[in-house]
Amino acid sequence: MLKSWDTNLLQSEKKTLFSFFILYLIFIILLLSILGVMYYNFQKDLMLQKNRLELSYLANEQLLKLKDLHVNFDKNRVYPRDVRFNSAIYDSSKKEIFSTFSNKHIDFNEVIYMDEDKIYLIKEPESYYLGTKYLVLEVKSDSSWHKNVYKTLSIYGAGLFLLMVVFGYFLLRLLLKPMREAIELLDRFIKDTTHELNTPVNAIMSNIEMIDTNSLDEKLAKKIKRIDIGARTVSNLYQDLTYLTLAHKIVSNDEDVNLQEVIEERIEYFTLFAQSRKIDINCDLEENISLHIDRKKITKLIDNLLSNAVKYNKIKGTINIRLQDGYFEVHDSGRGIAQEKIDAMFERYTRADESVGGFGIGLSIVHMIAEEYTLHVKITSKEKKWTKVRVSW
Amino acid sequence: MVKKIFLLCFLVGSIHASVYKNNCVSCHEKMPVKIDKFFYRYLLKYSSEDALKNALIKYLKNPTKEKTILQEGLLNRFGVKEKTTLNDKDLKKAVDEYWEIYKIFGKLK
Repeated sequence: MLKSWDTNLLQSEKKTLFSFFILYLIFIILLLSILGVMYYNFQKDLMLQKNRLELSYLANEQLLKLKDLHVNFDKNRVYPRDVRFNSAIYDSSKKEIFSTFSNKHIDFNEVIYMDEDKIYLIKEPESYYLGTKYLVLEVKSDSSWHKNVYKTLSIYGAGLFLLMVVFGYFLLRLLLKPMREAIELLDRFIKDTTHELNTPVNAIMSNIEMIDTNSLDEKLAKKIKRIDIGARTVSNLYQDLTYLTLAHKIVSNDEDVNLQEVIEERIEYFTLFAQSRKIDINCDLEENISLHIDRKKITKLIDNLLSNAVKYNKIKGTINIRLQDGYFEVHDSGRGIAQEKIDAMFERYTRADESVGGFGIGLSIVHMIAEEYTLHVKITSKEKKWTKVRVSW
Repeated sequence: MVKKIFLLCFLVGSIHASVYKNNCVSCHEKMPVKIDKFFYRYLLKYSSEDALKNALIKYLKNPTKEKTILQEGLLNRFGVKEKTTLNDKDLKKAVDEYWEIYKIFGKLK
């Protein structure tokens, strides 16, 4: 499995960027909605203005008929009707004198306006024939303009939205640039440093292995042991850093791995280190539990958990390792992790305790491997008492 | 029978009691321009019931050339009418009745 960790971002930064992107999208949608409403209103006004002239002409016709009716009211009392429109007349107190339409809510402040699918024109004659201060004309609006406006709005709206999203993407990249550069700088530095570490560490370790400690006196043998522990720690660190910086170039070679065997082997590897701190390691390992996984990677994962359990333990502390069907856990009696720091523990360069050496990459590697094989890592801790890391599948 | 006579008397009495008829129609009847024409001219200028009644009462209380709705020809012929002798209450009664008789509301078909 190929991974590009060199340019990957930390969890909290991803969260910030995600929030930024959501906010940006909301802003765009809001902006486009406002523009859309403005465009819709503009088109509506345009349509009303087009209708206004024709309706004014019809209103004048109607007024002439009202004038005629006013003069001959003693002889004729039939309100003039027209098939082209409905109409109503109101006195100056806006009381209805007569109406041929059902809408009773007229907005007298407007000259022309739309209500649902009807257009209303309000005309104020110079002389109040039959007391008419307001003549209201009602016509059904032509709905084709609606369709045209919605079509234009959806095409241009979608286009603008896409454009803004693309723009947002480039803006985001611009924002990310310094962040990426900082991470790349640190990665490059580690890469260069580790490269230089390999040869001397190997030389130290292979030479220690060649020394027959039984032939040495006790004091010297102790010193050699300490050198061995130190060299192994540096070697571990080297491997971690190599893994982190070259992870994308490592191709997994998955096989069925007997976990009991691997854990026992790694405990043996760390025994010397644990003994130096007088730490007691207790095992409760169930047999015949295996995982289909890359051996080097599961070894790295266990190494990091054990290394942390020893490193952050107290002198004369204990480590309990348990392997059951479905999980294994490492429980130490160390200094623990503050609750609020637990979530950030898997991020690279994060360290719960600055007093002990390290780069803060151990749990990041655990996280990477766990994620690759969909293993679930759960850290529980009580500050100054204990920490328990459980890896389940 | 007694009841009917009593009712008739009451009706006759109430007709006689109409301030509008006694004080307005009686004079306007003799004029070539009927009283309803004045109403429509008022309506043409004042539109609503309140505005029309107020303008009419104001004019009747203090008729002037400026306030009249009479056409110039008629004004020259008949001149401005004299101030009303009716008190406010009767004047209002007369105007209300005038409105009720000639108002447009409910008459259009």
